[in-house]
Amino acid sequence: MELTRYVSIGQYLPRDSVVHRLDPRTKIGVTTLLMVVIFVITDFTGYGLLAASLVGLFLLAQIPLGYAARGLRPILFLLLLTFVLNLFFSGLREGTPLVRLGPLVITSEALSRAAFIALRLVLLVVATSLFTYTTSPMALTDGMERLLRPFRRIGVPGHELAMMMSIALRFIPTLLEETERIMKAQMARGAEFQRGNLLRRARAMLPILVPLFVSAFRRADELALAMEARAYRGGEGRTRMKELAFAARDAVAWIVSVFATAVLLAPRWLGLP
Amino acid sequence: MIEVRDVHHVYLRDSPLAAVALRGISLTIPDGERIGLIGPTGSGKSTLVQTLNALIRPTSGTVSVDGEDIFAPKADRRRVRQKVALLFQYAEQQLFEETVAKDVAFGPRNLGLPEDEIATRVHEALQSVGLDPDRFGPRSPFTLSGGEMRRVALAGVLAMSPQVLILDEPTAGLDPQGKAEFLQLILRLHAQRQLTVILINHSMDEIAQTTERVIVLDAGRVVMDGPTRQIFARAEELEHLHLGIPQTAQILHRLRARGLPVRTDLFTLEEARAEVLRVLRPA
Repeated sequence: MELTRYVSIGQYLPRDSVVHRLDPRTKIGVTTLLMVVIFVITDFTGYGLLAASLVGLFLLAQIPLGYAARGLRPILFLLLLTFVLNLFFSGLREGTPLVRLGPLVITSEALSRAAFIALRLVLLVVATSLFTYTTSPMALTDGMERLLRPFRRIGVPGHELAMMMSIALRFIPTLLEETERIMKAQMARGAEFQRGNLLRRARAMLPILVPLFVSAFRRADELALAMEARAYRGGEGRTRMKELAFAARDAVAWIVSVFATAVLLAPRWLGLP
Repeated sequence: MIEVRDVHHVYLRDSPLAAVALRGISLTIPDGERIGLIGPTGSGKSTLVQTLNALIRPTSGTVSVDGEDIFAPKADRRRVRQKVALLFQYAEQQLFEETVAKDVAFGPRNLGLPEDEIATRVHEALQSVGLDPDRFGPRSPFTLSGGEMRRVALAGVLAMSPQVLILDEPTAGLDPQGKAEFLQLILRLHAQRQLTVILINHSMDEIAQTTERVIVLDAGRVVMDGPTRQIFARAEELEHLHLGIPQTAQILHRLRARGLPVRTDLFTLEEARAEVLRVLRPA
């Protein structure tokens, strides 16, 4: 009955590490670079190197590895599904057959492809969770706002997007707590949520959803009022208490990751096997 | 009777965010007692009461209601929750039905009672909280005032016909008159239905006026447990926990400090007034 226990993906873990202190823009950039690398690499050796460097980064950030693994739990089902689908239906029916299950054939090529795709998913989630574990929501939206600023000319409302995102992020734990409280209040009146067929379970959610919506709207109203009472009127002319500033460590992070990317990708660009 | 034996609870155990809430609580709560549960914020009050009706399974220790271990593998949780009712903080936020009557009926309906029994219970519950069933029953709960909504929520809990009623800060956010009325209501319910009442509250005055026994929690442990008058006589210890004592007792303590030989263990205005008059006007 502790919802917060199940939501570890994307939860900020305050630590005093060099990764935490990096400028959020650096972290957004490096994470994007990592994503590109994950998609471009097509061999296990590359992924092995990548996984090793991710482990190193987790150690550097002082985030327990078990915590990183826990972030995978929500996508476990997706992971299994992808694996199984690729195993049987990836179109790699030609090749060395390993197992024959009636009309279904598993070839060693399909097995390696399925493992590869699953690994890609794992790496993607772990890499992004490293980013969210080490970046406070505040820093995240600050960085995003700053990165979107150049696009304002073509009509991208960077400040508004960042503000909406930070409000949404800010209220996730609040809403979870509230959901938990309302669930318990209804359970105290004999409600059960894990019983019966799908329809019955869906109907059992009503006593939670109605109060949740009512209070979410009330909260939104109050928040809007509180923001206006403090003279909020958009990002125009707004100053910040903490200006983002690149430090030497950001330069190091950029150089290391660009260099590593180049090393990992160079063989492909140079047309080497 | 509720028996709590060496209950420990840790939130988010085995994670970097683990937080210890209860560190070995043992209590016996006999039937029909009115108990005040006090303690500073984060002392474990809310966690403790949620273990009493199996909403939280403690990390270790046992809780039994009428001799039955409520966390035993085949324990009937629904029956436990029917016996031990809990009204959460700001309970008006749990209302969801189209009408007041339907919302109060939610509990009894979950218990699988027949329709006519449900109707009777709804009627009785609304009456006990001082809302006219014919007038309020068909209305939407969202058109009521905050105080009325909270009464509806209490009715929803009472319709379960509990033996034990736990209230987590039931008067928070009500106006002074609303608070006084709500406390009177609780006392009346206690008398009418022979309920055991466990009241969590931050107002020492309200605790003094409604309870006969006080349990003080601090950092997940029971640090004091005894008759209300005796507990509030330990003013210094309570102040040390940032809890304080009822206002009348504070005034009497100060009068005494200035040389007026008054008793200090009186918690209602009437008692205090009589005591001051007694000392000032010797026969």
